[in-house]
Amino acid sequence: MGCEITTRERAGVINPMYDCQPAGAQYAGIGLKDSIPLVHGGQGCSMFVRLLFAQHFKENFDVASTSLHEDSAVFGGHMRIQEGILTLVRRYPQLRIIPVITTCSTEVIGDDVEGNIKYALDQIAKEFPGREVNVFAVHTPSFKSSQVGGYSECVLSTWKAIAKEKAPATGKLNIFPGWVNPGDVVLLKHYLKEFGVQGDIFMDTEDFDSPMLPDKSIHTHGRTTVEDIKASTGALASLSLARYEAASTVDFLKNTHGVPGHQIAAPYGIANTDAMLQKISEITGKPIPDSLVHERGVAIDALQDLAHMFFANKKVAIFGHPDLVIGLADFCTEVELEPTLLLLGDDNTRYKKDPRLLAMKEKVPYDMEVVCNADLWELEKRVKDGSKKYDLILGHSKGRYVAIDANIPMARVGFPTFDRAGLYRHPTMGYRGAMLLGEQIANAMFTHMEYTRDREWLLNTW
Amino acid sequence: MPMVLLECDKDIPERSKHIYLKVEGEDQRDFLPISNAATIPGTLSERGCAFCGAKLVIGGVLKDTIQMIHGPIGCAYDTWHTKRYPTDNGHFNMKYVWSTDMKESHIVFGGEKRLEKSINEAFDEMPDIKRMFVYTTCPTALIGDDIKAVAKKVMQERPDVDIFCCECPGFAGVSQSKGHHVLNINWINEKVGTVEPEITSEYTMNFIGDFNIQGDTQLLDQYWKRLGIQVVAHFTGNGTYDDLRAMHKAQLNVVNCARSSGYIANELKKQYGIPRLDIDSWGFSYMAEGIRKICSFFGIEERGEKLIAEEYAKWKPQLDWYKERLQGTKMAIWTGGPRLWHWTKSVEDDLGVQVVAMSSKFGHQEDVEKVIARGGAGTYYIDDGNELEFFEIIDLVKPEVIFTGPRVGELVKKLHIPYVNGHGYHNGPYMGFEGFVNLARDMYNAKANPLLKLAATDIRGGNKAALKEAAE
Amino acid sequence: MSEQQVKELFDYCQVRYLWQFFSRSWDREENIEGIVNAANDMFHGRVIKKHTPMERLFYADAKEMVKDFRENFPWIEQLEPTKITEILDGLKSMLREYTITKSLNHELNHSLY
Repeated sequence: MGCEITTRERAGVINPMYDCQPAGAQYAGIGLKDSIPLVHGGQGCSMFVRLLFAQHFKENFDVASTSLHEDSAVFGGHMRIQEGILTLVRRYPQLRIIPVITTCSTEVIGDDVEGNIKYALDQIAKEFPGREVNVFAVHTPSFKSSQVGGYSECVLSTWKAIAKEKAPATGKLNIFPGWVNPGDVVLLKHYLKEFGVQGDIFMDTEDFDSPMLPDKSIHTHGRTTVEDIKASTGALASLSLARYEAASTVDFLKNTHGVPGHQIAAPYGIANTDAMLQKISEITGKPIPDSLVHERGVAIDALQDLAHMFFANKKVAIFGHPDLVIGLADFCTEVELEPTLLLLGDDNTRYKKDPRLLAMKEKVPYDMEVVCNADLWELEKRVKDGSKKYDLILGHSKGRYVAIDANIPMARVGFPTFDRAGLYRHPTMGYRGAMLLGEQIANAMFTHMEYTRDREWLLNTW
Repeated sequence: MPMVLLECDKDIPERSKHIYLKVEGEDQRDFLPISNAATIPGTLSERGCAFCGAKLVIGGVLKDTIQMIHGPIGCAYDTWHTKRYPTDNGHFNMKYVWSTDMKESHIVFGGEKRLEKSINEAFDEMPDIKRMFVYTTCPTALIGDDIKAVAKKVMQERPDVDIFCCECPGFAGVSQSKGHHVLNINWINEKVGTVEPEITSEYTMNFIGDFNIQGDTQLLDQYWKRLGIQVVAHFTGNGTYDDLRAMHKAQLNVVNCARSSGYIANELKKQYGIPRLDIDSWGFSYMAEGIRKICSFFGIEERGEKLIAEEYAKWKPQLDWYKERLQGTKMAIWTGGPRLWHWTKSVEDDLGVQVVAMSSKFGHQEDVEKVIARGGAGTYYIDDGNELEFFEIIDLVKPEVIFTGPRVGELVKKLHIPYVNGHGYHNGPYMGFEGFVNLARDMYNAKANPLLKLAATDIRGGNKAALKEAAE
Repeated sequence: MSEQQVKELFDYCQVRYLWQFFSRSWDREENIEGIVNAANDMFHGRVIKKHTPMERLFYADAKEMVKDFRENFPWIEQLEPTKITEILDGLKSMLREYTITKSLNHELNHSLY
């Protein structure tokens, strides 16, 4: 019994789990209000990422491209940076933020992004006196890290560019949840409200779930404003809920502006949520409200019906973003599911030393395998060769065929989940998230029992 | 003023060379929008890159071939799960994507070793698969990795495998179109003629430029089977690598998508003397005309007439049911290029639908000539349209349904305009007779969607009126 | 020859046939010449040569065109044979003018495909 942490041995990847750095940077960039990220690279680098976002959220997001063509590859693409910025500023009068996101090609060419941004800003100052547009470089070569690191890098670059000065004390909390769904953002806001604590969720992606309105107005954009970012330097404290997506910006606020920073486990599952609420209580001095004790009870009550009857001893394979996967493993153990395979999908060497994984290694009472730098072929191979049996797969839609072909129930969670309706609307974090995920898992299992005629009669009286 | 400068383009006036409003009495000698030209940075264009034109559109369709993408992970991730081209062998092509997962050290020291290892691993992991496409991407092209040398080495060491190299990094050309071109030309020069097909019919053809979107190829295949025509190669819907190596042995090349695949048909004519016949596979009268031409070529006209009669008897009443209800519908087509000219007249003739605006992402002037020749006056023809232009055009022409991609579809949804997936379809196939009924049905269901009316209702206004009524 | 009649046929061709819009000027020239000539032979009731693949291709395209013309422009049947040739020659030169000599398509004369 024990937990083994290994790394993919193959050089190549078959079915990647994560997209590249610029994709992650774009996700952070669209979380800002009045922002259009400008991707400095080939057109595909933004085109397909926009499609990916559209698939997951069933919404359109604006991301621009410098449309790097052959001449730029030979002679440098600097003019295209300037032209791209100016075209955006001229045609979108409300625009206030342009993260300029680099890619593999432009990093190899070595374009002077900062210099060209400065030139463009001078031009903007001349053409539009008094207009403030925050344009800054986000260096995300695709051959380093992954969408996980790219997200983190863009948030950090945004803060470095905009949160330059120490703001007056606001008494508010900065919460950096990492790459989460609108449903999670709504949940975190709800918690703050119940606490009576003022705070900002960075990035505020609540409106990524946006309405069709009679006046045909479009509200599909991030809500995090320039003012929010500037004011964050005067916050009471910052909370990072994602070690690999949010910690760097929390550290920046601490080191540069003296905002106390707290790294806590991502609030997936009951205990991790408890810890978050206790931390908020500790920082703000406010007691955990009764209403959240009630919500917690409702979730535990619901999960109690599922755990020892349906979930116990079931082997689970989990893949996705690192903080999510580790958090979901905690959740699984709370409800008697056995997370026997965790797949983390990039070459970040820090995963192996993650205290949460090391803790699991200490206490796990069954065989567990963690594969770092994994692809989905690692999952498929284990499923196919029969060396491991899994009763459930937890992960995003890119792994759907592993589940379909092997006929294993799968609950979609994380990003992207384009093959199920509306998942982005629901939280995975918090008590409610744990409850909903538990129920989603149960329902996936129930449907599977029915379609495979595997004791489907059990539910005749449940 | 037939070339149009839209209000949103006042800061990029060169866009007026790309937008044309057809006026009665004008033709392509007078005005032909610029196309296949560089995109203006920062315009929120809809274009993709050359790499995707090769991998995603053409190569990745093949049902028996590993698609090894030599570059960082994103190029593989992004060209996976974005297409609906099934196969008759369990969709191998849609389930997998392969990457050399280039990292910084490979950029600095070269990635050829990494590529060689990845190729060997892929063949080892999937021992039933013996064919592979290898693609360069932006960074591996920039550092100059010699992918052909690597492929050659592997082929020497593994005599049972065959590898095709496609060198079209994302920055090549101005759009997907460059990737189509590179793949077409390299394939004919390197692979056609290296396999001899088994000929089973006295009538043989290649079907070129159809990618089995939602089963298009498989639907049309039923026609060719009934006509007794052997399709030597499908370029590339539901196709195999080795079939494509045998393209030189067909008597006729039938071309549907002339943009993505016209090059190989031209070269097959030039190098092997095989005639090129362009047809439209969408629409009743077009499909019938195409079948008639193919049958005339082979001298099997009666078989063609029989098939057309059977298909008309089966599907025409359904088409007419929709025609009655779609008559006068205003439609916009914002897709890649060829579907503009394939569809504008067929929806008009077969369904009474009026196309009011069309935008092409990667069409060339040849495509624009075709669409202006076929399209009506009062219609906008846009090359490489961008988001603000779409908003303005919608205001100008008020389309009731838009055939476009899912992302733009989500955008226009907010404007209460239903979209039908003009790339991957809603519920296809759309080709052939049955297919065009599917298209008509999807268009009708989109337009008839009751939610549109509900979305437009402001319940506050409604309440006020109702209250007032109750008070009176 | 009646210019009006040529224009009617030309307009029909423009909307209908893809062969006039092949990639390069020589392909367009070859198609216009081959197909319209074959059509002319059909209107004259001559036996069409179908020996080579290209002849069979022109035959296939021309056959549809002749059928369409007969259906949509019944006046064509009333014409003297020499008049038909004249009109089809007019059609050829009009097609050539629009799709080759006065075409604004920049790619028409690239030496490579």
